[in-house]
Amino acid sequence: MRGPDADVLIAGGGLAAQRCCETLRRLGFDGRIAVICEEARAPYDRPPLSKAFLAGDDKSSQLAFKPRSWYVENEVELLLGLSANELDVAGRRVVVGESSKELLARNGEHGDTSATQHHAHPSLGRTLRYGRLVIATGSRPRRLPGIPLGPKVHELRTHVDALSLRAALHEGSGRLAIVGAGLIGLEVASCARALGLEVTMIEAGATPLGRALPPKLGDWLARLHREQGVDVRLETCVRAAGLGAARAKLDLSDGDTVRADTVLVAAGSVAASEWLAGSGLGPGPIHTDAGGRTCLSGVYAAGDAACFPDPYSGERFPTPHWEAAVRQGVAVAHSIVGVRPRGPVPGMFWSDQYDRRIQFVGHAPAACEIELDLGAGERRGTARAESVGTADASFVAWIRQNELPVAAMLVNRPDALGRARLWIADAGSEETRRAA
Amino acid sequence: MAHLPRIDEAACLAHGDCEDLAPDVFHIEDVATVIGTAPVGRLVSIAEACPAGAISVIDAETGEQVYP
Repeated sequence: MRGPDADVLIAGGGLAAQRCCETLRRLGFDGRIAVICEEARAPYDRPPLSKAFLAGDDKSSQLAFKPRSWYVENEVELLLGLSANELDVAGRRVVVGESSKELLARNGEHGDTSATQHHAHPSLGRTLRYGRLVIATGSRPRRLPGIPLGPKVHELRTHVDALSLRAALHEGSGRLAIVGAGLIGLEVASCARALGLEVTMIEAGATPLGRALPPKLGDWLARLHREQGVDVRLETCVRAAGLGAARAKLDLSDGDTVRADTVLVAAGSVAASEWLAGSGLGPGPIHTDAGGRTCLSGVYAAGDAACFPDPYSGERFPTPHWEAAVRQGVAVAHSIVGVRPRGPVPGMFWSDQYDRRIQFVGHAPAACEIELDLGAGERRGTARAESVGTADASFVAWIRQNELPVAAMLVNRPDALGRARLWIADAGSEETRRAA
Repeated sequence: MAHLPRIDEAACLAHGDCEDLAPDVFHIEDVATVIGTAPVGRLVSIAEACPAGAISVIDAETGEQVYP
């Protein structure tokens, strides 16, 4: 019997995959590594797609994590434009096919032209046998029934999506309707206002970023966007969408109708794990241990497609963030090579909106106590969260649950990030010790 | 008075902003490493730009931390 096609096969070519490859090589792993990349581009950085890139800062070539020579020098084989379609656990192999037409259709216009060799790639339509498999297929935007994508209706995940949305936003003044007030919706709203567009944001939940932020901090975010001229509609859904006319027409659950030149559907994401159906893994994000091991021998997961336990509470919740993808990609590499993992660090995400850098550390439940620190060394006791105004250019919200530090939100206070991390980690370690 | 940046390796995510801003001071591999220095004002603004908050700035002579 032949050996595997790759000692480590990584399904998915995003940040988690990239960091896994880098760490494997750094740790001296000298086996064959192959990465199945669904897009036609080598792995690249996504956060700028809803920030500087969308605003028009055309550094698209600089989105790539590494120059192409890096993959050659490090013997990491990129299988571009291919997708993992099926996992055969018993045969330890992955069935590989061409990426969906939707992803590749526009690649002729915008794809990485140095990456076109996949058209004749021998891997197409066959199976790849692996020694170890890393599931890093990420996530895809949630689609809403009744609002199909089309010339006026966009989503934002890939470089191709960002090019298309950017062209629409830069085409002229006009109105943008954003369905969903998550990180992507909020950042696009911020960019679009800077470009002079009228923006309506429609969110089903009671506050923006409701899965991550306690309601009082979500309220602050809603006020910030309203102050910047965004028409924020909370607890509101799109009942029907008319997309045939010159302008899209959205009928809202509050009885109002919004007409827009461009619509962005940014209603969260779902783990791209459908391809694992029948393997015993999924549906939904793939549960792993702290080292990224799944319940299947030799199969690991990292990034948006994975769900790690929280290092302190052991709870599982979605962490579709840049920081988590880095740590998980690194953790899987450590597990594969068999070296000690790095110590626990509280998770975090950051976002740039208007002139604010928002950094969030830890994990906050809806029921929590919030103490505000408006800076300049002045600790405002137990100031109520309602008292923070959008005029306060910077503040730190210290968040406790049952008096235990669990999270912190920093607005233009990068100096407090290290302190916030320690504050949460110390409490988390203490809690872990107590529970043990 | 000379100042030096310091990297908290547990916090560093190798995002690369520091190297973009000051390739003469920082080099990124799996974590950032310090390869040079710069005037204290520039070091602090780079430290503020780090999304992971992994950079501190110390006074090279006294060892005193000046940022954060």
